[in-house]
Amino acid sequence: MKRSKFWILMLLPTFALVFFVNLYPLARGGVISFQRLTVFNLNNPRFVGWDNYRAILNDPAFPRLLWNTLVWIACSVAFQFLFGLILALLLAKPFFGRGLYMGLVFYPWALSGFAIGLLWSWLLNGQFGIVNDVLIRLGLIRTPIGFLSDERFAMFSVILVNVWYGIPFFAIMLLAAIQSIPGELYEAAQIDGAGFFRKLFSVTLPYIRPTIYSTVLLRIIWVMNFPDIIYGMTRGGPAGATNILSVQMINIVYYRNNFGLASALGMIITAILTIFAVIYLTLLERGEFEL
Amino acid sequence: MKRKRAIGILRAIGLGIFLVVAVFPLLWIFLTSIKPATEVYTFPVKYFPSKATFEAYRYLFSFARFNMYFKNSFVVATVSAGLSTFFSLMAGYVLTRERFKLRTFLILVLFFVQMLPTYLIMIPQFTMFSRLKLTNTLTSVIIIYSGFGSAFGTIMARAFLKNLPRTIEEAALIDGCNRLQVLFRVVIPLLLPGVGSIFSFCFVNSWNEVFTAVLFLHTDSKMTVPVALYSFVSKAGIQWNVMAAGIVVALLPTIVVFSLAQKYIVEGLTQGAIKA
Repeated sequence: MKRSKFWILMLLPTFALVFFVNLYPLARGGVISFQRLTVFNLNNPRFVGWDNYRAILNDPAFPRLLWNTLVWIACSVAFQFLFGLILALLLAKPFFGRGLYMGLVFYPWALSGFAIGLLWSWLLNGQFGIVNDVLIRLGLIRTPIGFLSDERFAMFSVILVNVWYGIPFFAIMLLAAIQSIPGELYEAAQIDGAGFFRKLFSVTLPYIRPTIYSTVLLRIIWVMNFPDIIYGMTRGGPAGATNILSVQMINIVYYRNNFGLASALGMIITAILTIFAVIYLTLLERGEFEL
Repeated sequence: MKRKRAIGILRAIGLGIFLVVAVFPLLWIFLTSIKPATEVYTFPVKYFPSKATFEAYRYLFSFARFNMYFKNSFVVATVSAGLSTFFSLMAGYVLTRERFKLRTFLILVLFFVQMLPTYLIMIPQFTMFSRLKLTNTLTSVIIIYSGFGSAFGTIMARAFLKNLPRTIEEAALIDGCNRLQVLFRVVIPLLLPGVGSIFSFCFVNSWNEVFTAVLFLHTDSKMTVPVALYSFVSKAGIQWNVMAAGIVVALLPTIVVFSLAQKYIVEGLTQGAIKA
């Protein structure tokens, strides 16, 4: 067999699948966003121009949706990074049982976000939740808090769970980067009399900066597109307090069965995603990160 | 010396806090799942069941038909992970070893696809598959998960293949193996940890996917575990000990996979697999 034919055959299954399952549907979604299409007229959609987009953008709840998405991304990623970094630093030096320990703290990474949302909705339950129970026993609160039912606490609660869920990812990535720092750098810093914080800010952080940039950027993209936890906990409620763009799109599909409208929102999300993706891929191609 | 010791203690406290915070939620949901229904709804909370019981699990696997959902999930996750691993090793091999014009473009396409979440393209997928009369079949979600899996599997495969010295393959070629034999008899056996890592990664992602599955699979006999949990939420009268048992069943397989393949998954993650 000719060599070039062989390559094409090897590439074909993956790229045929990627085309039919991912790229073509993405383009089809663009077409559907200009149609009136519901579960009931799947086979005869009607072209409606920009109507769906207008309906999305003119929705009085839309600015709040954007704001919620921004808060969700910023707080989640910031605290995931902070705690992930602390955990990575704690794990940087070997100790007895480190392998087992890492297995025990990293396991949330592999879990279903949706199931984790359900799990925490029980822990944070406003009537029978263990978190309320502990806070009362410690004397920090008098009466149980409606973590998920009270508009003032709902966003805080879903972000808290997302932070819990995302710590392992940052810890794994940052730990790998920290372990690749040559030991001589620390020795030199030691000789210069540098303390813990001095070493952290003058050696560790500058050295792992490329990893920090790439993981934070990826995480922003990923968290924006991560409705699973919110869907397990509040489905965007109460009264839209935890509704973000992705959750809203799924609600439109499941509850209103309006595929055209949902696709228009999907296209808006795709546009935002593409901007981040282009930044990421450009930096990747320029070799700014090592991947 | 004193200072060093103080730092050691602080470090142990820090590690202890992270451990408790990570493990406690899972422990608590397990405790809830083995409580009798009457002890679930108490406040102040009753921490331990007066008598551990598996009634919630019995209910799940008999009345709520979780044996079927579990089997469906298992078939979907295993088949799609198997296909993805196979396809991505082939594609990854070519994209690492051969240089051609479209190579960089194809790699960037894979990275882009990896950033697409499942829910974002589920509508056009649904209209496509309904034209093929394939909605509400396990085949449909297997195909969809294999698409996502092949894309990020290929990126992982490339990361592993880059570290494999070419000299071994060249020796095999000189010995008269053809390229397919080189891949399956030489490269893949050397790459077994990587293969395991790709498979586990794809398995976990397929096992956990919920939004496409809820849209596609609506008859009882076709549901996967996440779809069953989803329908639990909207059903009135589901007791929390049963719900907790369902959550444990949904989480357990991925915990097992993670503990078996932790080292390789972590390696795959840090070597350039971005979906995390």
